[in-house]
Amino acid sequence: MTEEKTTEPVVTRKDLARVARRNIFGLQLGWNYEKMQGLGYCYTVLPILKKLYKDDPDKMKAALQNHLGFFNTTPAMSHLIVGANTALEEKLKGSDQDAVTGLKTGLMGPFAGVGDTLFVAIYRTLVFSIAAYLALQGQAVGLLIPLIAGFVILYIRYKFTFIGYNQGQRLTTEFGGQLKNLTEAAAILGLTVIGALIPAVIKPVIPLAFNIGKVKLDFQTLLNQIIPGIIPIAIVLFSYWLLGKKKMTSTRLLFILLAIGIILGNLANIVKLF
Amino acid sequence: MTLSIGLIIILTLYVGLAQIDALSAQLGLYSPLFGGMITGLLMGNITIGLLVGGTLQLMILGVATYGGASVPDYLSGSIIGTAYAILSAKGAQYGIGLAVPIGLLLTQLDVLARMSNLFFQHMADRHARTGDYRGVERANLFGIIPWTLSRMIPVFIGLFFGNSVVNLINQYMPAWLMLGLKTAGAILPALGIAILMRYLPLKKFFAFFIIGFVLMAVGGTNMTMMAVALIGLALAAIYMLFKNEFKPAPAGGSPAARTKQNDDDEEVEIDD
Repeated sequence: MTEEKTTEPVVTRKDLARVARRNIFGLQLGWNYEKMQGLGYCYTVLPILKKLYKDDPDKMKAALQNHLGFFNTTPAMSHLIVGANTALEEKLKGSDQDAVTGLKTGLMGPFAGVGDTLFVAIYRTLVFSIAAYLALQGQAVGLLIPLIAGFVILYIRYKFTFIGYNQGQRLTTEFGGQLKNLTEAAAILGLTVIGALIPAVIKPVIPLAFNIGKVKLDFQTLLNQIIPGIIPIAIVLFSYWLLGKKKMTSTRLLFILLAIGIILGNLANIVKLF
Repeated sequence: MTLSIGLIIILTLYVGLAQIDALSAQLGLYSPLFGGMITGLLMGNITIGLLVGGTLQLMILGVATYGGASVPDYLSGSIIGTAYAILSAKGAQYGIGLAVPIGLLLTQLDVLARMSNLFFQHMADRHARTGDYRGVERANLFGIIPWTLSRMIPVFIGLFFGNSVVNLINQYMPAWLMLGLKTAGAILPALGIAILMRYLPLKKFFAFFIIGFVLMAVGGTNMTMMAVALIGLALAAIYMLFKNEFKPAPAGGSPAARTKQNDDDEEVEIDD
């Protein structure tokens, strides 16, 4: 890994730590539809640019414009890219801006793929769904879960800057493979939790009962004899199926679920009408 | 109960801070869960806050800003919804029923904020051409203004007119809608869960999904989420074990040993 750094390293640990902090705080402040995280990316790497091109206004101008370009990826993964790109920038010293842009734009897509699964979908499943489940039971202590997990992720993001810097351009092969393995294991854990979440948090009370002779049959109790939680799982699988349809958006599904809820809630009254 | 102006200002400042959290450290202040809890806590009814925040949290579970898409602002929704639920004394379902349309409406302000930031991007582009890096730095920080104002203004307005809005709704809301919202609130978490399932590899790993569901559905009150999570962890470990066992061992020892080595390498590099 050391052979990549041909010259005396200019970028110090302190610089990298500074970049990591800026990355956490500033990456998305200037988010806009044209360059997305581009402005935040330039803000993040500014300490490095200042150090490398302080006495060279032309290179500074070129580097600033280059780093303001389009950028967008999962915030946690951006640290790896910033780290790797810092190593490259330090090596090339502005001699090849295309290589710097190439590394940046080449990594952001694949990394967003892994990152959105691991740091968004699975993270939310494990952290926020369990906290919300506890909240629905009236327990505020569950809110500690996202707080603690948030600090853990901050530490990981901080480390990612250094890992990216040290691995440089070889980042995708080795580290990417390790993250993929982790994602698979985490997905199994996440799906187990999601399955359990369904009967735990979706608890509609359907006020409908039939009188057969003298026996009063409660509709919901009847269904639960097949398997408990059959109504919640049916609603989720129906929603999942609908989401696979063309033209179905989450907002449309929201209105469908609202309508179903209002109908189910008034089922007893509706049945009386007939 | 009424909302004091001091409380309105505190909640307005909170939503601004929470939006910065959403963009940067993501410690959780930005989540509807925290929004509901903090509003409930400050207004003296934390349970309602937890119920409103928890339900909205589950609804937004799978809805993420992938690639910068705008999503319903359920943070502001949970703050205003919790406040309305407590002001009206009609329970959490009432708050959820109001928070949903409020959150949907505020999606537009998120779009507006992201558009306003274009101005600062162009400002940064101009500074970059002259090599003024401090100007670029400033332009990025200015982005905080549209982001926070797009949340603080609606929350302030929503809370300031809270009492009048609640009175108006109570006057016109039919009984069947109130009854319907109770059930709707109980099934709306299906939305977030179903979307999340689309982003997880459900087709490949559906077996684990079934195990989780049956454990909780049949286990009922004897089962806890933590127990299911532990079983899930064990299943993941078993899966990785089998996956690695049946693969021909690559040179340099087992995959586990290789990973260990790499970790050590990184440590050494960082110390340089």
